[in-house]
This record gives sequence, C-alpha cells and structure tokens, in this order.
Amino acid sequence: MIGKNRRTKIILGIIGIISFLLIWQFVVDFEIVSSRTLASPIEVYQAFVVKLSEKAPDGATLGQHTLASLKLALTGFVVAIIVGVPLGLVMGYYKFADKLIMPIFELLRPIPAIAWIPLTILLLGIGFEAKVFLIFLSAFVPCVINSYLGIKLTDPTLINVSKTFGASDWDIFTKICIPSSSNMVFSGVTISLSNAWTTLVAAEMLASTRGLGYMIQLGRTFIRPDIIIVGMLTIGAIGAVIAYGLGMIQDKVAPWREEE
Amino acid sequence: MTQQFKANNNLYRFLPIISFALVLILWSLVSFNNPNLIPSLLDIWNRFTLLLVEPLSGATLTGHIWASLLRVLIAFVLVIFIGIALGVLFGWYFTFNSLVYPVFEILRFIPPIAWIPLVILWLGIGEAPKIAIVFIGSITPVVMNTYAGIKNIDKLIIDAGRVLGADRRQLLFEVAIPASIPQIIAGIKTALSGGWMCVVAAEMIVARQGVGFLIVRGQESGDTALIIVCMITIGVVNSLLSLLLNKIEKVSTPWRI
Repeated sequence: MIGKNRRTKIILGIIGIISFLLIWQFVVDFEIVSSRTLASPIEVYQAFVVKLSEKAPDGATLGQHTLASLKLALTGFVVAIIVGVPLGLVMGYYKFADKLIMPIFELLRPIPAIAWIPLTILLLGIGFEAKVFLIFLSAFVPCVINSYLGIKLTDPTLINVSKTFGASDWDIFTKICIPSSSNMVFSGVTISLSNAWTTLVAAEMLASTRGLGYMIQLGRTFIRPDIIIVGMLTIGAIGAVIAYGLGMIQDKVAPWREEE
Repeated sequence: MTQQFKANNNLYRFLPIISFALVLILWSLVSFNNPNLIPSLLDIWNRFTLLLVEPLSGATLTGHIWASLLRVLIAFVLVIFIGIALGVLFGWYFTFNSLVYPVFEILRFIPPIAWIPLVILWLGIGEAPKIAIVFIGSITPVVMNTYAGIKNIDKLIIDAGRVLGADRRQLLFEVAIPASIPQIIAGIKTALSGGWMCVVAAEMIVARQGVGFLIVRGQESGDTALIIVCMITIGVVNSLLSLLLNKIEKVSTPWRI
C-alpha cells in the first residue's frame, strides 16, 4: 500500500513539473507575457548551454561565475565558523564572557547583513575582502546563537553527575557541554551556510565584477531574461545541493539526533 | 563564599554597562583619529535629529520608515492568506501535495534577492516590484511551517475528532488548523524578519523612498553618518517587529507555556 502510494506521488510529481514547464512555455509562446520580460524554458535551456562556454555579454562563463561565487561564500562561511562557534560555546559556558559580549551581540544582531553593504563599500571598497566580510556577518550570527544555546541546553543532570565524580570546570566544558551541544551547533552551521549563500547574491548584485549575482544583475541591464533565469536556477540548484549535502552529513555525524 | 558570590553578582550586573562603555569609547577614539572615515557619536546623533525634521527625497526619516513598512504590510496580508492556504493544501490533500509540491520545492531554494532582477523586468520600478519581492521572501516560511504543522499533528487528536463524529471538513477547520497555529505563528515570525530584510534589499536596488533607498543615498554621497543612522533604524524596526509578534504569539496561543 505504501509502495503504491509512493509511486503515485512520484508520477504526480513528474506530471506537476511537466505541466508547470508547459504552462510556462505557452505563456511565452502566445505572448501572454512579453518575451522581452520572460524567457521560455527552451530558451533558458539554450542560454544555459551557450553560457557554459560563451563569455558574452557579462565577461565570464557560467562556470567562472559559479566558481567565483562559491569561493567567496565558502571563505566567508569558514571564517564565520572558526570565529563564531568557539565564541558561542565560550559565551554559553562562561558567564563573564556572556555578560561582556552578549549585549553588544544582541545590539548588532537585528541589523541584516544587507544593511551593512553601504558602510562596507565605503570602508573596505568592493574587493574580495569586503564581500567576505559581508558573508561572514550573515553566517556568523546563527553560528554564535546555536552554539550558545547548545551549551545552555546541556542536561544539568549530566553536569551534576560529572561534578560528583570530580570533573574540573574545563573537563565539564570540553567533555560534557561541547559534545552535547554538537547537534545545535550543526544546525546553526546549516543555517549559516544558507544565509551566506543569500547574502552573497545581494553583495554581488550591489558590488562586483564577477559571480552569479553579478550575472543576473547584468542580465537585467541587458534585458536578457534567459540569462537571469539561468543565473537564478544555478543559484537555487547550488543552494539545494548545499542544503541536502549538509542534511546527509548531519545524519552521518550525529545519527542519534531525533527526527523532527 | 557568599561574599564571593555577591561580588560576582555585582560584577555581572555591571559588565554589560562596561562593555557598552568600552564600545563607545573605542568608537570615539577611532572617529577622533579618522574623522573622514568614521563619524563621531555626536555627528550621528545630529544627523539623526536633522533627518527627523528635514525631508530627504521628499520624506523625513519617519516617512521613509513608513514607506518601507507599508510595503511589508501589504505583502504580508497576501502572504498570510496565500501562504497559509498553500500550506494547508500541501499538508491536507495528498493529490495537491504530490502535484504541486515538487515545483514549490524547486522554486524555494532560489533566494528572494535573486528574484529582484526578473521582478523588476516584469513589474517596473514602482511599488509593485518591492511588494512582490517581500511576498516571495516571506511566503516560504509561512507555507513550510503551516505544512509541517498540519503534517505533524498528533494522530490522537485527529482520531479523537473522528470518534466524536467530525467529518473531514470539520477535522480540518476545527481540529487540524487550530492545532497548528503555534507553528504557523512561528513561520510568520521568521517571515516578518525575512520580509523586512527583503524590503531593504529591494529598495537598495531601485527605489525613491524607504530606508533601503536612504542607506544607498548615504553611500552615494559619502554620508557615513546617514548610513549608520539607517543601519540603526533598520535594526530597531526589526527588533520592534519581533517584539510585536512575540506579543501576538502570547495572546493567540494562551494554552502554551
């Protein structure tokens, strides 16, 4: 019964996607929406194939844009993890650090990374560092928050038991609190990565000469909806691969985690 | 021992104040040494009070905030209706879910900001594209949370409803939807802060009013004080919005602790 249900689901899903593409194609073919503002799926596919090797009109192939974007996003993301996770862990465990740093952090947290773009451009220019800084900002917050909460949510029984057995403060921190917070830390990292990817697009749209965000922004300038959609789909596809990849790693690393 | 504890407690009470003071002192030092790069705290305050009374591009600061908030508000009315409806359809109707969810799943991984160029091509540069961007940016969490809320309902509640003779329609409207309200509100919370970010982003790319426009104006004219006033404003509005939603959450789901 379940097997049959599943097959129906897959078949219906394929029908759904195909009809979506067909409607999209018809909308463009019959000029319900002007072809200057929307490209049909076939045109998008052709633009994709051409963009793989062609540098016009935006100065780089799709592969080069993707590579530039990935390099930026990963650099900012890795720096955010290296700084953010330890900071969150320490703030969660040591009250001194908590009281000293948390207020400032809480003050800066509501400002979205995008709002930092103008100041960053004025202070750091539009180079690699500036964009890495912006991505770092957006990826940093979830790393800190989740690590912090992970420590705070450690089962007090575990801490009391280890105290009873004479563990030192440092032992409790490294051997009880950090392992028990690993799940929270991991989901923080997952959120960070998807934040980094979103901010990257914004940063590249406002200040860049290469990257997927730059490509779709130029697509608008040249009124090339096919290139815009190729860019959007590439951004979406990479985002999806990242999300599923992290989900799989999480299952491997922390298989005990409860299913949501 | 108790004295030690007391001393510690006093220290902890003052630490946040000390840390704020440190930041302010550090800021003043940096701005004193690079007055062109970083404005002093006084400059920022003056810029702020000036902007409150003197219009820039046809509106004072409050006018710009209102312009941005209005866009979010309009988009939100649509998001709440369409988003919850879609989520319920996904969660309750097997056929609709299997047919439409895969398409939604493909589209939801495209960040809302990446829609900006296409939406501008479609809708021009008036009010509509900004509202559309906010809509795109905030509908996903509402749909996903409603969907998850309906899907993860305690089977016991549904069975209880059935035993008491509810038909399918009653099960949906009187059992399933009310039971998933906490999740739906959690989705709306995420959506609102996402929507606020989207409106800023959309205004930064094309607009003649709104805080996102204002911050870019600051960048173009090298007015760092204006940029910082805008950043603080954006942060404060964001916090106020989430405070408001926390209140709504408490009022609308009083049975939760």
